[in-house]
Amino acid sequence: MDAGFWTKLHGATTHFPIALTLCSGVFDVTGFALANRPIGRDLNAAGYWAMILGALGSLPAVISGLVLTKGVIIGHGVVRMHHLFAWPAFALLVTLATWRAMLGRQAARSTFIGYLAGVVIAAGLISAAGYWGGEMLIAR
Amino acid sequence: MKPISRMRPLGVALMMAAVAVTSMAGFGAALRKRAMLGSHQQPMADQWFEETTPTSPQLIVSGRKLFLDSCAHCHGADASGDEGPDLHGVEVSDRYISNIIIHGIPHEMPSFAKKLGHPEIGALTAYVRSLDGS
Repeated sequence: MDAGFWTKLHGATTHFPIALTLCSGVFDVTGFALANRPIGRDLNAAGYWAMILGALGSLPAVISGLVLTKGVIIGHGVVRMHHLFAWPAFALLVTLATWRAMLGRQAARSTFIGYLAGVVIAAGLISAAGYWGGEMLIAR
Repeated sequence: MKPISRMRPLGVALMMAAVAVTSMAGFGAALRKRAMLGSHQQPMADQWFEETTPTSPQLIVSGRKLFLDSCAHCHGADASGDEGPDLHGVEVSDRYISNIIIHGIPHEMPSFAKKLGHPEIGALTAYVRSLDGS
């Protein structure tokens, strides 16, 4: 097997949850702002599926990262910084996706605002994890 | 017990996240254990009691610099382990340490035979040996 296989696989898989979470946030916030128009419902549906797929996509990203680092959960230096953001992001993504799936596409307004706040935090965490992941490549 | 559909969605979501993170941490711990076993290949009994290489504070300082350049990104700046194992108190001979540096470990650690000469490998070995009591 190519010695860099897991590095490449982790690099490939991590971009799905990052992109889908950010897209989900943009779709949902825009859909929420345009709730009275037909496009609002479409954006809401797009945000829903982006979040579900983003959370599902985070599983191969986490598994490939664990195999790549041979099971390092926190680590040191730049790896530590990456993990300090990646683990909370993973937990929050699973929470949000499960919550959203159980609520369905039509949630109460106040509940949905709480959900959106969670998505914004998840987007920040996953972006920071991605940033430190990039720094790891530079450090090497 | 309530059916899942009637439970509070946020509670179920948090429970799912806890299960996911715990599962991944458990998977990571298993991988770590396996990697540590593989990395600390058990030396032959006659390798445990070989004489140690003469060393000096200067050699250790030189080895520390080489360690920071070539090894710290995997073993950690304090050599207490990161992707690679903790190097404190390794119970192997100097020759064993040198051989690992020269030949590496397949799929785990690269060979440094082309990058480092004998004096550098000696300095690195002295540095790793100096971690025994720290």
